[in-house]
Amino acid sequence: MSLFLGEMHHHIPGRKGLTEKKDIISLMPEKEVYIPLAAGANTDFEIFVSGGDKVQIGTKLAQTKSGFFVPLYSSVSGTYMGIKKRMSAMLKPMDHMVIALDEAQTKTQALMPLDYHTATREECVEQIKQAGIVGLGGAGFPTYVKYQKPDGIDCIIINAVECEPYITADYKIIMKDVSHFLMGCEIFKKMADVSKVYIAIKKTHPDLIQVVQDALHDKQGMEVYPVPDVYPMGWERVLVREILHTEYDRLPSEAHTIISNATTAIAAAYAFEKGEPITKKIVTVSGEGVKNPTNVECPVGTPVQEVIKACGGYTTDSVRLIAGGPMMGRTIVNDQFVIDRATNAITVLPNVADDAIACLRCGRCSDHCPAGLQPVRIAMAVNAGDAKEMEKRGALQCIECGLCTYVCPSHIDVTENVRKAKRTVMLKKKK
Amino acid sequence: MKFNFHVSPSLKGSLTTQKIMLELTVGLMILFLLSCFYNGTTYGASYVLHEVLLLVSSLVTMFICESIFAKIYKENPIAYMKKSFGWVTSIILTLMVPITMTVYALIIATIFAIVFGKLLFGGFGQNIFNPAGVGRAVIFAAFTSAAATGITTGATPTAYLANTFNWLPASAEALDSFLSQYGGFANLALGFYDGALGETFTLAIVLIGIWFCVRKIIDWRVPVVYLGTIFILTAVVALLSGIDSYHGIPAFIWYPFLHMVTGGIVFGAVFMLTDPVTSPTSAQGRVIFALGAAVITVLLRLKANLPEGCLYSILLMNMFTPMIESSLDGVQLVVKKKAYIMAGCLAILGLAVSFYAATSVEPVTTAATEKTAMMETVRMEETL
Repeated sequence: MSLFLGEMHHHIPGRKGLTEKKDIISLMPEKEVYIPLAAGANTDFEIFVSGGDKVQIGTKLAQTKSGFFVPLYSSVSGTYMGIKKRMSAMLKPMDHMVIALDEAQTKTQALMPLDYHTATREECVEQIKQAGIVGLGGAGFPTYVKYQKPDGIDCIIINAVECEPYITADYKIIMKDVSHFLMGCEIFKKMADVSKVYIAIKKTHPDLIQVVQDALHDKQGMEVYPVPDVYPMGWERVLVREILHTEYDRLPSEAHTIISNATTAIAAAYAFEKGEPITKKIVTVSGEGVKNPTNVECPVGTPVQEVIKACGGYTTDSVRLIAGGPMMGRTIVNDQFVIDRATNAITVLPNVADDAIACLRCGRCSDHCPAGLQPVRIAMAVNAGDAKEMEKRGALQCIECGLCTYVCPSHIDVTENVRKAKRTVMLKKKK
Repeated sequence: MKFNFHVSPSLKGSLTTQKIMLELTVGLMILFLLSCFYNGTTYGASYVLHEVLLLVSSLVTMFICESIFAKIYKENPIAYMKKSFGWVTSIILTLMVPITMTVYALIIATIFAIVFGKLLFGGFGQNIFNPAGVGRAVIFAAFTSAAATGITTGATPTAYLANTFNWLPASAEALDSFLSQYGGFANLALGFYDGALGETFTLAIVLIGIWFCVRKIIDWRVPVVYLGTIFILTAVVALLSGIDSYHGIPAFIWYPFLHMVTGGIVFGAVFMLTDPVTSPTSAQGRVIFALGAAVITVLLRLKANLPEGCLYSILLMNMFTPMIESSLDGVQLVVKKKAYIMAGCLAILGLAVSFYAATSVEPVTTAATEKTAMMETVRMEETL
C-alpha cells in the first residue's frame, strides 16, 4: 500500500476447510460422457470418429481446424454416439461428443512417452502440443503456445496459489503427487530454457510449502516463493508484481517470464512419462449449497448433475450453481453441463437476494482493483453512455476478477458495470 | 430445484455501507457524550438539556425533510432513511455548533443541509458539497449572533488566537498568556474548553480517527495528508517568522501543535474531509484533495478575516472534486505520474502560502491581559 495507490488486492476468507482435509472421491459417469467440442472460444473442429465407433481411453477424437492446434482425446472407453447440443460451462449451448461407457474401460497409448532429459526443447514443446495440454487454471489456453519462442525469458513462475475461495483441487493434487508436479516444473523449465523456477504457494499453506520444499532438496534453480493470502494473487499480473516487482503491458513475456498453472505441470508430466493426454480431472465441489463438499476425481465430460449427486446433493431448493469458484466462475442455470479439462471447481451457494444501495463513492473498488483501474469511474461512463470515456478509463484491461463487487460496501455489481463497458468498447472497435 | 442466475462474482464482502454509517454514528455520539459531560460539569444540567434539545431538533428536522422526499419518490420513509443516512449529517452539524446556538437557527441550518445540501442533488451519493458543511456555512452567514438566552460561555481559543494574537503568539510570554486561559496544551488536547460541541476533543477525535482508519471506515490518507500538511506548513511559518521557543520546545514543534489542538481541523479531518460522497474516489485524488484543503486552511487561518479555515477549505475543495477526478481518469499505475506533478505543484503553492503568511502577519509578542482578551473576542465566531 502506498500513498498514491490502494492495496490492489484483498484478503478473502478462503473457506478451504470445507474440503481441504477430506479424501478425494473417485467417480465414474453412470452411462455417458459428453466431451465439449471447444478449445477456449474455438469450436471449429475436425472429427476423426463416426457414430457407432468403438473408442478407448486416449483415442484421438478431434482436433481444431483453425486457430491454435488443440487435439481432443476420449476420456473413457465405449461407443461414440454422435454429437449433441448441451448447456456448457460457458453458459451457452455447445456441441458435445457423446460416448456411452463400456464395462472394460480399456486404454490405448495416445502418444509415445518422451524422456525430457534427452529430448530437444522443440521435441518437448511438440509433445505438449500433441497431448493437448491446456492451461488448467481456468482459462484453458494451449500451453505449447507460450513455450514456442522463449527468447528473452529469464524465469518461469509455477502458479500453485489457488486464490479463489473454496477451491482446494490444486492443493490436493500437489499433496498427492508432488513428484509428478516437480517433473512438470522441470519440463517447463527445459521448454522455457531458463535456470530459474519460482513455485508460488500461499503462506497460509505451510504444509504444502513443506512438502514441496522437501521434494525440491536436490533440484537446482527451483524455489518455493510464499505469497500472501490475498485475492487475486493467482492472476499473472499480481504474481509478476509480487515476485518480480515489475509491471507489464500485455503479456508476462514482457516481464521476461512465463507463468503456468501447477496442475498443468502435472498434466505435462503424465504426457511425457506415460504419453497420456488429460482424461481425468480432480475438481473441488464445495460451497454451502452442497451437502458433502469434497474433491471429486472423474473423467472429462462427466455431467455435473452426477458429480453433485456423488456429493450428497443440494442443501437448499434455490442455489447458485457456479462453474468454477465464486469470484470468477459463471452461474449456470441448470446442472446439465459437464466437467471439462479446464474445470477445476463446482461451487454451490445458497441464493441470496440482491440488496444494492446507492454508490457512496468510497473508492474501495479503485483501491483494490489489481489492474489499477477505477471501476467506479468506468461505471459512471457506462451510466453516461460515453464509450470514449470507457475506453480511456481502461475498461478493456479488466479481467473480471470480481474484486470490485466483493469490496463494494453498497453491494453494487461493479464488475458487471465494467463488463458492460468492455462489451460497448469492443462493439465500437468492431465497427 | 431452482438454479439462479447471477453475474459473477457470486460472493460479497461483509463490510456494508450500513455498517460503515453505524460505526461513524457511534464515533460521533462518543463526542456528543463527551461534550454533554463537559457542559454538564462546567455549567450545569440546563446546558446539557439545551445540548440534547439541539441534537433532537436537528434529527427531527432531518426526519421530516427526508420523509417528505421519500413521499415524493413514493418510498417508505423509514426504508428511504435507512439508505440515505441523514442522521449522520444531523449529528455532525450539531457537533459543529457551539452550545450557545439557538434551536431555530439549527433547525434552519439542518433544512439547508439536508434539502439543499443533499436531497435536491438527488439524495445520498449525489451531492457535491458536504451537507453538514453547507448547514454550518448557513449558520455562519446568517445566524452569527443567534445566541440562546441564558446560555453564555467564555471565548473560544481560535477566536482569541485570531483576534488577539493574529494566530502568531511569537513569544513564550504571549503564548503563556494564551494558554493560561485554557489550562495549557494538555487541556487544549483533551478538549475541556468552550467551542463547537464536538470539535474541541482533539485527543478523543484522534483516537476515534485511528479506530476508523484501522476498521477502514475512512481512508487514512485524507486525515494524515491533511493534518500532516498543516503541520509542515505551520512549522515553516514558525521557522520563517522567527518566533521564540517555548520552555525549550522549538517553535517549529509547538506552533504546529497549537494549530492541531485549537479549532476544528482535527474534527474536520476525521469526520468531514473523509466524507466519501464529496471527495475523489481514487487514492491519488484523495491525496490531492486533502493537500489542497490543507493549503486553503492555513491560508484562511493566517490571512483571512475568519477565525478558522477548515469549513471553507472543505467546501472549496468539494468543488474541485469533479475536476480532480476527471484529470486523474485512466489506469492508476499510468496516471500516477500526473498525480505526482499535481501534488508537487500544490506542495509548492503551500510553501508559498507559508512564506506569504510568515512575512505579512504581524507576530504578537506581548502578553494580552485577561480582561482585554475577553472583551475583544466575539463569542459566536467559533466555527470549523
